[in-house]
Amino acid sequence: MSALLIGFQDVLNPATLFWVAVGVTLGYVLGALPGLGKATGVAVCIPLTFYLGPVAALGMLIGIAKGSAAGSAVSAILLNTPGEPSSAPTALDGYPLARQGKAQKALKMGLYASVIGDFVSTLILIGLAAPLARYALLIGPVEICTILLFSLTFIGALSGKSMIKGLIAGALGVFFATVGLEAETFVSRMTFGLLELEDGIALVPMAIGMLAVAEMAVQAGNVRKLDSEGARITDGATRADRVVLAAEWRRCLPVIARGTLIGSVVGILPGLGASVGSFLSYGATRKASKTPEKYGTGMIEGVAAAESADNAVVPSSLIPLFALGIPGSVIAAILIAAFILHGLTPGPLMFQQQPRLVADVYAAMLCASVILLIVGYTGQRLFAQVIKAPLRLIIPGVLLLCTVGAYMETSSVFSIYVMLFFTVIGFFARKLDFSFVTFLIGFVIGPNLELSFRQTLQLLDHKAMNLTNHPIAVVFILLTVAVVWWIGRGKKPAAPEDQAAHYLGQSKPKGRI
Amino acid sequence: MRRANVISGVILVLFGLLMLAVVIPAQIEPGPDGMMSPRLVPGMMMGVVVALSLLLVVNNIRAKGREPAEDATPPISGAELLALAKIGVIFAAAILLYLLVSPLAAGAVIVVGGLLALGERRPLVLIAMPAALLTAIWFLFYKVLGTGIV
Amino acid sequence: MQGFTKRGLLKLAAGALLGAVGLGHAALAADYPAGPITMLVGYGAGGQTDLVARAAAKVMSEQLGVPINVVNKPGAGGAVAARDLKQAAPDGYTILFHSNSVVNSAPFIIEKVDFTPEDFDYAGMITAYQVGMATQKDKPFNTIAEYVAWAKQNPGSSYGALSPEARLYINEIAKKNGLDVNIVPLKSGSEMINALLGNQVVMAFSGGIHYRYPDELKTVSALTTFRHSSAPEVPTIEEEGYPLGMDSRTTLFLPKGTPRPILDRLAGALQAAETDADFAKVTSAANIPIKYLGVDQSYAEMRDTYAKNKGIMQQAGLISN
Repeated sequence: MSALLIGFQDVLNPATLFWVAVGVTLGYVLGALPGLGKATGVAVCIPLTFYLGPVAALGMLIGIAKGSAAGSAVSAILLNTPGEPSSAPTALDGYPLARQGKAQKALKMGLYASVIGDFVSTLILIGLAAPLARYALLIGPVEICTILLFSLTFIGALSGKSMIKGLIAGALGVFFATVGLEAETFVSRMTFGLLELEDGIALVPMAIGMLAVAEMAVQAGNVRKLDSEGARITDGATRADRVVLAAEWRRCLPVIARGTLIGSVVGILPGLGASVGSFLSYGATRKASKTPEKYGTGMIEGVAAAESADNAVVPSSLIPLFALGIPGSVIAAILIAAFILHGLTPGPLMFQQQPRLVADVYAAMLCASVILLIVGYTGQRLFAQVIKAPLRLIIPGVLLLCTVGAYMETSSVFSIYVMLFFTVIGFFARKLDFSFVTFLIGFVIGPNLELSFRQTLQLLDHKAMNLTNHPIAVVFILLTVAVVWWIGRGKKPAAPEDQAAHYLGQSKPKGRI
Repeated sequence: MRRANVISGVILVLFGLLMLAVVIPAQIEPGPDGMMSPRLVPGMMMGVVVALSLLLVVNNIRAKGREPAEDATPPISGAELLALAKIGVIFAAAILLYLLVSPLAAGAVIVVGGLLALGERRPLVLIAMPAALLTAIWFLFYKVLGTGIV
Repeated sequence: MQGFTKRGLLKLAAGALLGAVGLGHAALAADYPAGPITMLVGYGAGGQTDLVARAAAKVMSEQLGVPINVVNKPGAGGAVAARDLKQAAPDGYTILFHSNSVVNSAPFIIEKVDFTPEDFDYAGMITAYQVGMATQKDKPFNTIAEYVAWAKQNPGSSYGALSPEARLYINEIAKKNGLDVNIVPLKSGSEMINALLGNQVVMAFSGGIHYRYPDELKTVSALTTFRHSSAPEVPTIEEEGYPLGMDSRTTLFLPKGTPRPILDRLAGALQAAETDADFAKVTSAANIPIKYLGVDQSYAEMRDTYAKNKGIMQQAGLISN
């Protein structure tokens, strides 16, 4: 604790705070702009930090990650185009809320949930990095395989009205993710001779195409109607539409707590990523709710669930990095370079050799959470004003940003082709009510599941009996079976699929309240 | 939506069968012995898609008779398809310009093309917006961040 | 007058032109670099290679007086970046900083990659990868021979492999000694470290990052032709009787046809990294040994290792083209 206080002393000076604030703001803006993401932002900023001291540099880079996890909610809510794939669930309820004139309420809740999730997760990182990381090592491929299997059961909660279509979308997601070099057999799958596909279809251009550009296409086809509703969106009819009411706080606090917990756990486990965290949180909250069918029409709990988890993943994904030097996420991997370049070698030795620097970084991260609240508050007003512009000005701007964002990933035009391909798929998925959320889940979880299953086969020496050496895995298998049985028991005959108007991903809810 | 479901179901069935029969065997070699085949997971997924799509088609055909006459508007409006097509054209032009001229020209085309396609006709906006956006992006990437968009 | 025939004039003109071009060529090389240079890196941001590349770019930028923009072009282990480099103009303004394995071993493993050393020009090599077999500190074996003995007592043990080369080594060792080992596929260096630290696998192929954990992990064998500076007591795989040592070094690649003066200029700038304090800080923090090789040495190294690796791969039956 005393070390942390010294850390604060070091950090609470205008220069360091300035750079942290720059990072958070930059991250927030990058997150809010559809197409540009935090991975690109962090990687591109690393050279900029050469000229800064280590604490300012790391504070700034981590600030970018935190800011963008929160900022991505803005475009999700206002434009139905998530700034990052991890904010896709936020759009499910955030956008309908915006269309009902409650944009400011949704934005505020998104921000509060993000900040709380982020702050609490940072505290967990500070307090528990070392011991948690050691426990995390017990989670090997066998355990990951069963955990992922368990996560798949949540697909049910995320399929929207039609379970069949949701499953189809999920299977297609897994299928597309198999494109590329298979890690165990080193056989190229469905690359059609293209070198660029050897590493598979990149998530970012795909997500940009499917989530952002497809949405822009849909909105472009409905410009007149959407514009006429436009002015109502941001201003809201009454004060009650602009702030978060006490009753809503009461409902959302447990949701936020759950989301933070889920996000923190997902962050520690290697390879899962922020998207999985926010999807699981949304799914869990929906399942636990008394009115699950209302999700997708503007339940503020949905926004809170997704945003708290999505932000909680960021600091906790740094736990394996700080404690063991193992990056558990793309951001952490990029941050390793920054750490080493500034003289910190992430890993167990870091705490012994550079305790003061570590304390400084922790303090900077906590300050970043607070700064995030301030930046978010002001930022929302600004962005809300931007949205008042007519769609025909917004859409080309968004298209440009998406193109730049997709291109930056690999500095090659191929990513644009990927983006366009998935734009078409995303367009039809939205209009025909195939959940792109489950597609994303399949895409992200699928390859992990396959690889960890292969690893499991090898680790268990192809004998199922060896599973008894992995008690955690057995627990998750039992959990999965329990959930599947519970779903099967409680399932009613499928309701007529197109009567209700609120489909996941559709931008024009008909006949809403 | 019923009809759309049936159509999309049929298309998916055909897609799945095509993958299973042609693409997967052609594009994926059988792997070495002792390891799970690389064809397994893609094949399984396409199997799932075919089965579920058939179910979708059957469900929707059966339900068609039972439902009262409903809203006959198709889920995808003509305007939306047109918008999708326009975006395709804009990007095709942009990519061409990128390959032949420069990234800057491509960026400009995306913005200007988008504006025109959506009905914007004011010359001031058509020139000022791309100029402003591209300058901002250039500034951000080349000056502030020091990387290049190659 | 005598001398001014049409022919003479033409000859004069041709001579002047050639001289101008030659001078121009030299002039081009002389005021190289006149603007920013783009350095491609074939792996994503944050990895070992990217780290060294950025540190090297910083040093070279100071030496050459122009900014060097690092652009990551990941894909197929660097093959995408290398292919793009081939299409760039040989004027020294586009360079690739990457492991030379993209030319001296990737072509034998990935079907679509078919580079040869003659496809590129080289401007020096700077660091080597301490590729080796790593295991947990408490395991009772310290050399391959001891590992073989242990594995015979413990059939069905697991080994972590993140590339075909990784499998090559264990397959050869297992074949020669009749071992029963399960090969666990791993997707990246971090997964490999995770698997080792978590005691999931008994031994794993490492590209050098296992040296970051001296308290938990140790090296069983150096898979290079030289002993690792971080573990000089560990014998190389060749010393133990398997002629399988394959070296990889970070190399500056340039498009074929780049003028020699430009190559020399770049190599000179790269050499400054050998003695640069910041560069040393980065590489020592990551346990990466610095071994500078000049232009001619680089060419020789490429050709020699290409031929040697081809032999190894053919022997092991890995060659697909």
